[in-house]
Amino acid sequence: MSPLPAGDLAGTDLDGVDLADPRLYGRGEPHAVWQALRDHRPVHWQPVAGRGGFWAVTRYADAEQVLTDHATFTSTRGVFLNMLGRDEPASDQQFAASDPPRHGRIRRPVQRELTVRAVARHTESLRADIVRLLAPALDGGTFDLTEVTGALPMAVLGPLLGIPAADWPRLARLVGMSVAEADPGFVLPEGVEATLRRAHRELFGYLLNLVQAHRREHRGDLVDVLAGTTVDGSPLSAGAVVANCYSLLLGASAAIPHVPNGALLELIRTGRYAAWADRPELLESGIEEALRWTAPARHFLRCATRDTRIGGVPVAAGDAVVVWIGAANRDERIFPDPHVFDLSRSPNRHLSFGDGQHYCVGAPIARLALRIFFTELFARFASFELTGEVEYVESNWLGGIKRMPVRATLR
Amino acid sequence: MSSVSRDELGVVSPYVAPSPGVESELAVLWSSKLGVAPVGVHDDFFELGGDSLLAADLLMEMYDALGVEVDAAVLFLTPTIADLVAALGAGSRADLP
Repeated sequence: MSPLPAGDLAGTDLDGVDLADPRLYGRGEPHAVWQALRDHRPVHWQPVAGRGGFWAVTRYADAEQVLTDHATFTSTRGVFLNMLGRDEPASDQQFAASDPPRHGRIRRPVQRELTVRAVARHTESLRADIVRLLAPALDGGTFDLTEVTGALPMAVLGPLLGIPAADWPRLARLVGMSVAEADPGFVLPEGVEATLRRAHRELFGYLLNLVQAHRREHRGDLVDVLAGTTVDGSPLSAGAVVANCYSLLLGASAAIPHVPNGALLELIRTGRYAAWADRPELLESGIEEALRWTAPARHFLRCATRDTRIGGVPVAAGDAVVVWIGAANRDERIFPDPHVFDLSRSPNRHLSFGDGQHYCVGAPIARLALRIFFTELFARFASFELTGEVEYVESNWLGGIKRMPVRATLR
Repeated sequence: MSSVSRDELGVVSPYVAPSPGVESELAVLWSSKLGVAPVGVHDDFFELGGDSLLAADLLMEMYDALGVEVDAAVLFLTPTIADLVAALGAGSRADLP
């Protein structure tokens, strides 16, 4: 049996677990809970005070069913748990919150700009940015890895949306407030609801100004592409353009940094950094394993459009369903020795980018950024050591590390 | 279009009628966008039933109808007609990207 990273399985009380509670994630992915759910209650009803509840899906096969059957499991009622029990204003406006065929009509123009070929022209500027980001590590002192990787989204998305580098620290903070609204590092004194509202409105305000600036002067980037998109004969409204930019910003900013953070933590802990760094032929498979391992987007919410069954369990029309990616990615029914970081794992059809029609539109550029990041990292550093306590983000959506002091040894 | 009255929504601010000119033009625009009447100058856009997407659409229509631009943060963070008019007067564009 493969080792579980934390927790005692026998002591896991599934009735006492609250999967929506951000504190559950304060020490990293709750693998003991996921294991117990996969084995004993793979489709588990989780009540949420005042907001009904949701079916928690933890096995890979069930997760795949929910993510690929968009006719039975709609995205139009919101895709994050913090939308549970509320109206999703971006329904049918944002491609993440739309179903086919409308989904594809909004998404396709964006997707064309994000193909491997389309993003290839950004490779050298991305590499230059990443090399610059790694510079603070070169003096041999202790630094916080999350500060280095935290700037990756700007390097990736800044040029695509025309966002100046100077604005990024503020945006990164607002994105943090949006996706980790309960984390002590982000929550405002006024509370969780006020934090979400404030972040959301400031980001919308910022992005609307950005859209307006693009209207004055086209830049040929993603904002212009969205603003020029027509769906069924009507142009996207300003609100829809902003909502799609918002979704891209959240996806990139939230997810990209946490892949290297979590992967390096595991490799440092197990003393296997060199086993990857010294083997260039494992770059690609190692990145896929890092994605499987970290699953920075913890969950996706769907809503059943009709009475159905998941893994034999009846689910009623209108029920909310939450797929837990970190759980599905460790399902031993699909991945042998799922709790081992296997640099040459193959096949490795992890769900970290989702599945089906909503498979992450930014996956090609995220992979490109990770490839460059790890290549440049491995070229410079022979080893890493942890020099302090690691802190995790308290969020039911963002699976990530917010502090990771390390020291690097140069080659 | 059929309108909801602001009283039915339980808006907390006391009703202050718009003065003629820009305030009135904005109140008409808000009413048509939100389906709420009447709209007072201290009413909160989001309390009147607006959401972020609608706010963005509204601001864009304001730009087009009045030919002016305000920092979108004004509508999102201090979402009243009085605040918008004040921002129009200030005309600051420093924060725009």
